[in-house]
Amino acid sequence: MHQITKIAGYVTIILAVISFNFFLPRFMPGDPLSFLTGAPGMDMPIVLDEATRAKLLAYYGLDKPLLQQFADYMIKLMHGDLGWSTYYNAPVSSILAGRLKWTLLLIGTSTLLYIALGIVLGAISAWNRGGKSDVGLLLLLLSVGSFPPFFLGMLLIILFGVKLNLFPVFGAQSPFMAYSSPVEEAMDILHHLILPATTLVITHIGGVYLLMRNSMLNVIGEDYILTARAKGLAEWYILRKHAMKNALLPITTMIALRVGFMISGTILVETVFAYPGVGMLLFDAVMYRDYPLLQGAFLIITLVIIAANFVADMVYLRLDPRLRHD
Amino acid sequence: MTEKTIELTDLRRLWDTYSEKRIGVIGLVIMLVFIVMAVFAPYIAPHDPYELYNPMEPPGPDHLLGTNDIGQDILSELIYGARVSLFIAFFVSIVSGLIGTILGLLSGYYEHVGFFIMRIVDAFLAIPRLPLIILIAAFMRPSIWNLVIIFTILGWPITTRIIRSEVLSLRTRNYVEAARMLGAPDSYIMIKHILPNVFPLLVVRLVVEASHVILAESSLSFLGLGDPTAKSWGMILHYAFMYPTIYISDVWKWWMLPPGLCIVLTILSLMFIGYALEELVNPRLRGMTQV
Amino acid sequence: MINRRFLAVLALVVLVYSASVGVMALSVSAGTATEKVVKFAGDVPGGDWGYPSPFGFYPRGPGYIRMSFIFDTLTWKDRNGTVIPWLADSWEMSEDGRTWTFHLHHGVKWHDGEPFTAKDVQFSFDYITRHRTAFKWFQSLSYIDHVDVVDDYTAVVHLKEPFAPFLVDIAGNVPMIPEHIWKNVSDPGKFVDKRAVIGTGPFKLVKYDKEQGYYEWVANSDYFKGKPIIDRLISLSVNDAAAALLTGAIDESSFWGQRAKVASSFEDKPGFAVRWGPSYWVLKVIFNCERYPTNITAFRKALAYSINRTEIVEQVVHGYGITANTGLIHPDITGWYNPDLPDYEHNVTKAAGILDALGFIDHDGDGVREYSDGEKLEFELLTPSKFAREAELIKSQLAEVGIGVNVKVLDMSTLDDILKEGNFFLVISGHGGIANPNILQQPDWPGGTFKNETYSALYKEQRETMDPAKRRALVFQLQKIVAEELPTYALYHPRMCCIYRPEKLDTWFFTRGGVGIGIPIEMNKLVFLGEAKKGEATEGTATPSSPAPRQPGFEVVCAIAGLLTVTYLKYRVGVRRR
Repeated sequence: MHQITKIAGYVTIILAVISFNFFLPRFMPGDPLSFLTGAPGMDMPIVLDEATRAKLLAYYGLDKPLLQQFADYMIKLMHGDLGWSTYYNAPVSSILAGRLKWTLLLIGTSTLLYIALGIVLGAISAWNRGGKSDVGLLLLLLSVGSFPPFFLGMLLIILFGVKLNLFPVFGAQSPFMAYSSPVEEAMDILHHLILPATTLVITHIGGVYLLMRNSMLNVIGEDYILTARAKGLAEWYILRKHAMKNALLPITTMIALRVGFMISGTILVETVFAYPGVGMLLFDAVMYRDYPLLQGAFLIITLVIIAANFVADMVYLRLDPRLRHD
Repeated sequence: MTEKTIELTDLRRLWDTYSEKRIGVIGLVIMLVFIVMAVFAPYIAPHDPYELYNPMEPPGPDHLLGTNDIGQDILSELIYGARVSLFIAFFVSIVSGLIGTILGLLSGYYEHVGFFIMRIVDAFLAIPRLPLIILIAAFMRPSIWNLVIIFTILGWPITTRIIRSEVLSLRTRNYVEAARMLGAPDSYIMIKHILPNVFPLLVVRLVVEASHVILAESSLSFLGLGDPTAKSWGMILHYAFMYPTIYISDVWKWWMLPPGLCIVLTILSLMFIGYALEELVNPRLRGMTQV
Repeated sequence: MINRRFLAVLALVVLVYSASVGVMALSVSAGTATEKVVKFAGDVPGGDWGYPSPFGFYPRGPGYIRMSFIFDTLTWKDRNGTVIPWLADSWEMSEDGRTWTFHLHHGVKWHDGEPFTAKDVQFSFDYITRHRTAFKWFQSLSYIDHVDVVDDYTAVVHLKEPFAPFLVDIAGNVPMIPEHIWKNVSDPGKFVDKRAVIGTGPFKLVKYDKEQGYYEWVANSDYFKGKPIIDRLISLSVNDAAAALLTGAIDESSFWGQRAKVASSFEDKPGFAVRWGPSYWVLKVIFNCERYPTNITAFRKALAYSINRTEIVEQVVHGYGITANTGLIHPDITGWYNPDLPDYEHNVTKAAGILDALGFIDHDGDGVREYSDGEKLEFELLTPSKFAREAELIKSQLAEVGIGVNVKVLDMSTLDDILKEGNFFLVISGHGGIANPNILQQPDWPGGTFKNETYSALYKEQRETMDPAKRRALVFQLQKIVAEELPTYALYHPRMCCIYRPEKLDTWFFTRGGVGIGIPIEMNKLVFLGEAKKGEATEGTATPSSPAPRQPGFEVVCAIAGLLTVTYLKYRVGVRRR
């Protein structure tokens, strides 16, 4: 029963997002044509005559009534066709696929890192509660966590990119390099990934760290930990065997909720580092009123978030047997 | 008479506990500095932030932090920036907190209303926040009030969820059951018995939300979706980021660093306050750290 | 235990990584650059300008330019803006200006080896006219009636009516495409095959990556104008062109207006050189000529007198620009520029006098004038966000004469809509194309509230006047009307600079009047053919400067940090155990 409501909920959300995302841009002032034909403020004055304008609208199917456009869109979507981007002049699915790999790489790497580091540091902190390392870690992580991602990114670029010239300051790989081996390519990608990923890790670690620390503190007070200690078990053993396991539960839910934050942070980081991911694409799609692309990008992002929530639910069920027969 | 004194000693005791947390006191002090800066901006700022001087002056006696790309005094911009950023943050967190509390109370107390409201909350939480803001911000003309509206719309669902779960557990408490048995009206129970108990949680939530709003406002301004004529810290950073030699000359030291650090310090102070409050609210954590 | 193990693994990863980066750095520096490669990037973020086929590029200047490396036109422009023979060696125009005969260059080959003939010319014009929705760059193709093929090397273009700018706007702009490839393509926009980028041009496309905004071309060694002086041309996407130049990621970029300030950081830097040019771009205030009170010419003049354009150039573009010609045509274009136009030099007294005479007087003394019915004289000034700085300045300038202004920032598409609906008083807008009289078609473009029949008649007349002197007189008259009626008040023309590493390529120049139909860019394909260097002695590579090699510092730091972490943890654990 629980699962069915959940799934129904997800489906409703997806439908709501799809329709919201279809209609809102179309009610927004402006249409794709103004950017297709030399927009004001940047370029050559290309004055569209009415006949060409009508032809262009018909070419993109924008001359039909709104509801029919919606129906067409839904039917295409059922067949897995996301449409043709008006500005980028390419299938939306291929544009998204090309960009998504970079965003997923960036989000995936930084998520893994910030979770791992957050858990470890949180545990260390809780175990040494009140000690120097606890206070130090707490202050340090709260402080760096207060940096807006874009500001931190800019600082990293100036320090490590320009001043020390240790890392490339833009892009996802060096495009002009002919790689001699896949290892070399991977290294190059990693080299480009470090600064953006570091930005994301630093700005996100605080949440996991605090949660881990707090739930550990809760757990440490429990009787069974005291018992274990009385038995003379090694501290690290107790930590890993009892304390951590119980503290992990709330973290799972938190990570899922954090995916949304992560995506927001990624948009900023991608902008600062000119990293060719979905975030920047979404921003451009709004600017250019590229309806199909906007719809596609938004849909993908929503799906990623819902998938994350779903996975979290599943993991939660596994970790907490009490919920299994709910 | 007696009721009032009790409240005062209560507050006194709360403050005593709070001030034990050094972290909380530090946060409060930083926040107070910014609030003073915002309120008395016209008296503190050395110049009118809109007045034009020589563009791109490096720091000097006339302009302690130099001037920006069109010759406005950066220090004065910073001081006035506190107004915009803090106003949006507090206004949004209070309004969205209010909405969130009311809906949270209702949905926690009435099961059917709760089911309905929670589905809306789920939907809101499933939609990525910044992308949605980008979409709406392009639709509405960028202005401070529009930012306030957007952030309020997006802020209430989390508060609702938090308040609701607290209400759910409070509802089954003995004294609430007792009051209901005695025939007290729902509104009376909610205001008299439940609200005071969710209040501490709400305060923490308000502080957290305020820091989120400051981050969101600066992010939007940075992306160029804020109000370019408003002097907010994010907007100062936006223009600095757009400036061509920002990465390769020393300009960043006085143009990019100060507004960035202002944002960092504000968020940090809110986090410190929130952290200290949370330890107050959550008795299990009390006494665990003497920071 | 978990912590220690985790950190040990982490340290190991870091070590392995640093070692590989070190090895990589060595191998990169070991690679010898035998071929001449030039890398450039635009100053705007996002280097993707679409697939460089005639139907795939985004309708923007940089998009057209990337296509123009691969495809040629019948005529082209040299650095002075003179029309020069390209695919056509020579041409004649009929008396009535409706028929143009082109004699094509012999022996031109498509990149796939097929010969280029008059049939391709006929096909190109025919195909592009038929697919006007796909070739979005230029919309005046409706003048073309048909093209006749006389023999393999002679094509005759017939126009529906005389079109004075034909040689530049059509012959020098419409790319020639191979018939044998495109004849079977029905939706050219969606044809992004390798064969879609087979042209006759100096470069062949070898790689295009949309996500990365990456283009790579190699020289066409069989090019009929001679092999390009570089072997490989690369265009990339960077987030900050100045930083990328400095770190050696790119060899050339160009900057506009305020951003041209970058030049000051490079002018004295060894290994770099800077060249300056005009941008053929104008920023202007558009007035609504159909709404009271901006429909009163005197009122618009009062606004013009209130706006201090010199101050805008000084404060906003830091002097990297000039106050604009009020008749819109760029002053560099001596052939079309009318130098005798009023320039409305900043004059608060004069402005106040006009406003007083029109009955806009500040009765209540609050610093803002009122209409006769007592309502305040206040307007919204609409602007895209990138001109918000200029808008702020204009706001303060108009405040001095007692006109209230609220700056409203809108995104481009929204603004475009508002202009079309005529729902505005004042709008700030900017555009290129001001090297060409075409721009005068609708001086308040992209709005259109200025309706003046004399003006429209004059515009049509100059378009059909083939005699250059007569046409020039007409274009002068048009500019005079714009300057005196002021449907729009031109503010400034920015300057632009191109910063480059001369050791990589030293032939950059700005084309007078812009490339093609007026793209202000230093990327005329002649640059890569070494045209600018003809007659000059090659300076060689006297400037000893190469991009800084990767410093080994980072790897060392990482390795030490990793070792320290491990040691520390071992120590900590040891202490705890005890």
